Amino acid sequence: MNKPATGRPPVWAYWVVLPAFVLLWAVVAQILETSMLPTPLDVLDRLMEEASSGALWNHLGATLGRVAVAFILAMFMGSAIGLAMGRSTTTNALFDPLLVLLLNLPALVTIILMYVWFGLVEVAAVMAVVINKVPNVAVTVREGARSLDYRLEQMATVYRFTRWQRCRNVWIPQLFPYLMAATRGGLALIWKIVLVVELLGRSNGVGFQLHMAFQVFDVASILAYSLAFIAVAQLIELAILQPLERRSSRWRQPEMTYA
Amino acid sequence: MLEVRIEGRSYQQPVLGEVFASIKRGDRICLLGPSGIGKTTLLNAIAGLDTTLPGGAVIGRENLRIGYLFQEHRLLPWRSLLANLKLVGVGEQDAKSLLGQVGLAGCEDYLPDQISLGMARRAALARCLAVKPDLLLLDEPFASLDPVMATDLKSLISSLMDANPRMAMICVTHDGADAEILANRLWYLDGTPARLHWDDRVGESGLIDGLLQRLRCKMEGA
Repeated sequence: MNKPATGRPPVWAYWVVLPAFVLLWAVVAQILETSMLPTPLDVLDRLMEEASSGALWNHLGATLGRVAVAFILAMFMGSAIGLAMGRSTTTNALFDPLLVLLLNLPALVTIILMYVWFGLVEVAAVMAVVINKVPNVAVTVREGARSLDYRLEQMATVYRFTRWQRCRNVWIPQLFPYLMAATRGGLALIWKIVLVVELLGRSNGVGFQLHMAFQVFDVASILAYSLAFIAVAQLIELAILQPLERRSSRWRQPEMTYA
Repeated sequence: MLEVRIEGRSYQQPVLGEVFASIKRGDRICLLGPSGIGKTTLLNAIAGLDTTLPGGAVIGRENLRIGYLFQEHRLLPWRSLLANLKLVGVGEQDAKSLLGQVGLAGCEDYLPDQISLGMARRAALARCLAVKPDLLLLDEPFASLDPVMATDLKSLISSLMDANPRMAMICVTHDGADAEILANRLWYLDGTPARLHWDDRVGESGLIDGLLQRLRCKMEGA
């Protein structure tokens, strides 16, 4: 029997596979000597060029803006729908079939329909992303709403909590893990859909740049933009999501003061 | 002050039968009965937590402030004791002095899971008092406390009742001895579906004892 995986892994373990992969890439690129596979240094050069010309920041900014707006809209709408469905079986029965439909609707279909119906405009682009994301948020938050502790509800009723007090002090702390899961999954999904939206119908953004690079088989640019994109996503995870999660789950494992 | 007229309450099976009773200011009621008989169901009904009951089931509740000490402390685990108290509408100073009254001075900033069960129950009692209740509902306040802590809590509740003579109390307990210390009225739930029996003869010592004695025989006979 294998021992179960427990304890902290050694720090070096995080720094093996990725550098080895870059090394392999460099070696293969060196041997093949083709523009279809530029070396890591070529890609880095291209990244620097794009950054110093300002193009990288423009496109990255445009994409980030769309991601932010779509994310906030999707989280609010999805949370409200999920909460309503989790709290009321009738609401759930009413909207569940629609939810299943939307969950299984390919992102590409929504994007095309939005562009066809509303034209190649910003609102259509953001709406397509929101429609793709809302069902996922709703499903996750619905699970959270179903697991709300009825004992704390009773307490809030007896002590006549206002709706706002209930929301802020009773519901959100219990829903927090679900909201975080929706956020994580949500950002990952929205990043990807936004690129497709930009590729199909916008004239700026990372997706648009990838489209342009694809038309001239400029692999160095494709990789440069991808790397920038991954770096930003990681930065958001490390700088915003993880600290937020640590801060809000501190109460879960408090040190016992009295026993 | 409060009129209870419950015609019956069922979950999968009928739990409560007809329960008619009234509660006056200054009443110290101990509600006894075997476990599972519907004591908490009755308490929840009185507290207004049972939304399936018809409107007239409990008359007079709207104007009452109710403090409910649940079986579990039901403090918000993500808020400090002080924040838990402030949420029911008292100021910081009052909240601190209430925590002091129940022997938790200096513990204001602890989270409920950082303190022991007995302390958490006292903090929950402080929260009951924070609403300046007309009616105090206590659901097995002494369960799973060690004897010393239970005795402390009993005398704390006793002195709180003495200090607030206009406050009424209903205390659910299994233990007749609790009733002898705390109660001036006795309620007893018995039968399926459960009916409420009571003994209202206040103050004449021995009478409550008499009912307790009969109940004991009954319980042992059952």
